[in-house]
Amino acid sequence: MPLDPLSSTFAALADPTRRAILARLALGETSVMELAKPFDMSLPAISKHLKVLEHAGLISRGREAQWRPCRIAPDSFKQVDGWLGNFRRFWDESFNRLDGLLEEMKAEEAAKAPPRSNRKVSNPKVRVTKEKQRGRTRG
Amino acid sequence: MDARVDKTLRITTPSDFEFAMTRQFDAPRRFVFDAMTKPEYLVRWLGCETLAMPVCEVDLRVGGAYRFVFRSSEGIEHELTGTYREVVRPERLAFGETFSMPGFTSDEYLVISTFIEEAGTTTLTTTIRHPTKEARDGHLNSGIDKGVAPAYDRLAEVVAGMG
Repeated sequence: MPLDPLSSTFAALADPTRRAILARLALGETSVMELAKPFDMSLPAISKHLKVLEHAGLISRGREAQWRPCRIAPDSFKQVDGWLGNFRRFWDESFNRLDGLLEEMKAEEAAKAPPRSNRKVSNPKVRVTKEKQRGRTRG
Repeated sequence: MDARVDKTLRITTPSDFEFAMTRQFDAPRRFVFDAMTKPEYLVRWLGCETLAMPVCEVDLRVGGAYRFVFRSSEGIEHELTGTYREVVRPERLAFGETFSMPGFTSDEYLVISTFIEEAGTTTLTTTIRHPTKEARDGHLNSGIDKGVAPAYDRLAEVVAGMG
């Protein structure tokens, strides 16, 4: 099954070792030897993970030096980041709109049943505010 | 206590099969509950600016079904359908839900919302439980969050700083 670029990116990100490698690379480029240090893994095993990351376009490996430094490929991450934000953005936007609706619901209920204690005072300011609101709810 | 309402959306992963969203609202919980269960309110807030909601049907009772259809500006439809399992106004709501879009239909997952009111502020906690970890991660992959991949988050920050 051919993977689209984002699918291979997510497949690469699904593995905790690979995420740890990326976290290390976020601090700066380094060699395979350095990367392997914190893991209880052979160099070939680490190399295999690096190949997956490279194939997914998440890292690039230098050709210029003997030790082929590994570094993060920033463009690829930007693409992922845009896509990853969807779920949060959906709910963030929805809940922000819900805030506005709740304000209306509160105002509606207050208008229907004004508390008696406030009524007696007959505060002219309150009336002004209400009229303003009514005028504004055209749209 | 002047309870400042924290309107930050928090997403956590309480277990391998679940994730949870928490959000506070500056309103009594009966309003939040109604806004989440009555179509005349739902169509006014659920969804993004760019998504129309041409279908919003709710049969609010245990065993009753609901159906929400969202249509993007390109005409692509996403559908949320489900069946209510618990309806306890205004404190608890549970339903089994399926998400579908062209070429993809999710397994059913369980959504449990609790509404806790304190000094006029409502804390909504929605827990979404998937049958498998893979399904949960797939769902969250549309918005991977701090609990899921802390390493990735740090990384995203660094990468953003790289311009």
